[in-house]
Amino acid sequence: MKRKAYGRDFGLTSRMLLTSFLLGLLYVLFAVVLFSVFNVGLYFGIIIIGGLAFFQYFTSDKLALRASGARIVSEEEAPQLHAMIERLCGMADLKKPRVAIVDTPMPNAFATGRNQKRAVVAVTTGLWDRLDEKEIEGVLAHELTHIANRDVLVMTLASFFAMLAGLMTRIGLYSGMFGGRGNNNNTVPVWLIVAVVSIVTYAISWVLIRTLSRYREYAADRGSAVITGAPEYLMSALQKISSQMTLIPQKDLREVQGVSALFIFPPSVKKSLSELFMDHPPLEKRLAALAEIAREMGRPVD
Amino acid sequence: MGLRDALFGRSKLKDPASDDRLFAMSTARITLQSDLDLKPAGAAGVCFRALSAESFIRAENDLQELLDAVAKESGSQVERKTDDLGYEWLVVRDQDFEDLVTTVHVVASELEARGFGPQLLAAVFPFDGNFKEKRVYWIYGFKPGAFWPFVPTGEGQERDNAEELELKAKMEKELPVEQDLTRWFGLFNAPL
Repeated sequence: MKRKAYGRDFGLTSRMLLTSFLLGLLYVLFAVVLFSVFNVGLYFGIIIIGGLAFFQYFTSDKLALRASGARIVSEEEAPQLHAMIERLCGMADLKKPRVAIVDTPMPNAFATGRNQKRAVVAVTTGLWDRLDEKEIEGVLAHELTHIANRDVLVMTLASFFAMLAGLMTRIGLYSGMFGGRGNNNNTVPVWLIVAVVSIVTYAISWVLIRTLSRYREYAADRGSAVITGAPEYLMSALQKISSQMTLIPQKDLREVQGVSALFIFPPSVKKSLSELFMDHPPLEKRLAALAEIAREMGRPVD
Repeated sequence: MGLRDALFGRSKLKDPASDDRLFAMSTARITLQSDLDLKPAGAAGVCFRALSAESFIRAENDLQELLDAVAKESGSQVERKTDDLGYEWLVVRDQDFEDLVTTVHVVASELEARGFGPQLLAAVFPFDGNFKEKRVYWIYGFKPGAFWPFVPTGEGQERDNAEELELKAKMEKELPVEQDLTRWFGLFNAPL
């Protein structure tokens, strides 16, 4: 007898595919327009952004650790945490990542690192103190799924052209402002086309990247449910984390914003204008999705 | 699998590797005893998570059925335990080592037959040394389908890595040993 695979969600898969497709299409259009408008000098920009993206990708673990103030801990320092992660990795058939702790009362966790070998899972002392064991497991499994799904790579790739568009906007505007006024024809100046196209590309890709990020979050929640088999603990963990987050003043959270896409819960809790601009789905939607998985699994949820 | 995971996210856990490799333990015992002076402790355990069954109650019934089935099939004693991290254990006791390995295999395949396959974590075989006080464990990971040694020092959650690497070097020829050291998870406080 085979039990059902709970893990598949065709709706989510197709939405993810559609978002990636739109993002790809947008980037191709962007590249085509730029190439047709001016074909020299663009390579330079691509190389710079490529280098930046490469740098970001290869140093993602160090950057995130530094930005959040996380400290790698040995097995002797945090035996229980190590044991939990080891077993979850055994379950998910993953290499064991490095384990880090962030010393802050705000309960949260994140994963980073470009591949399984370089991966780090970090939890805050607040998470460890305020959540119970099963809830912590749910959160850890969520982070391990980010690693298994290679989300650092996916998001780096997804933001590559958005970064390029951002740079082009700036270059376009500067050259428009300070550039020579040699050709005073009636044609629209090149820098204006470049700037407009870049701004539009940047704006659309920004929304699409956030959409993709939200889908990756749902996927990680689902992965956590699959690994632990008990989505209800992740649900209660998310509720606890979010209620604690709103209690703590935002000032303390500023320095960790750079890595917010990979946190289990966004450190910035100010109400966004719309869901479109958030890199994490709203709590209610995540809870609803998890409750649906729990029902599929026949788990007791109230 | 890798690309699919990256594109759409992982959707399920890996099934256990072919479990024939578990039987390598039966023959490895001879070398462990003669060359390394390690005697089987007369018990072994299968560690898994019972959580993800389709239905909580059905999982409970399934496990009870399984215990009865195994008890009928073999002469070994089998009991159910839970450890401090909430994982389930089926502990097998038998003085005859080959029967012990066979029963562990039966327990694992019965669990798989009842749909717990993806939830199987590891089988554990403890050995006692004659001279050293230390207990040595051989852990079989169901997902990679390989063994690795686990030697807790007895102080907190420390492992004697030097001893573990020595055991790996000595047993590599006879046992399929997991080559990726980052997958050698320990099982402290195994209820054996």
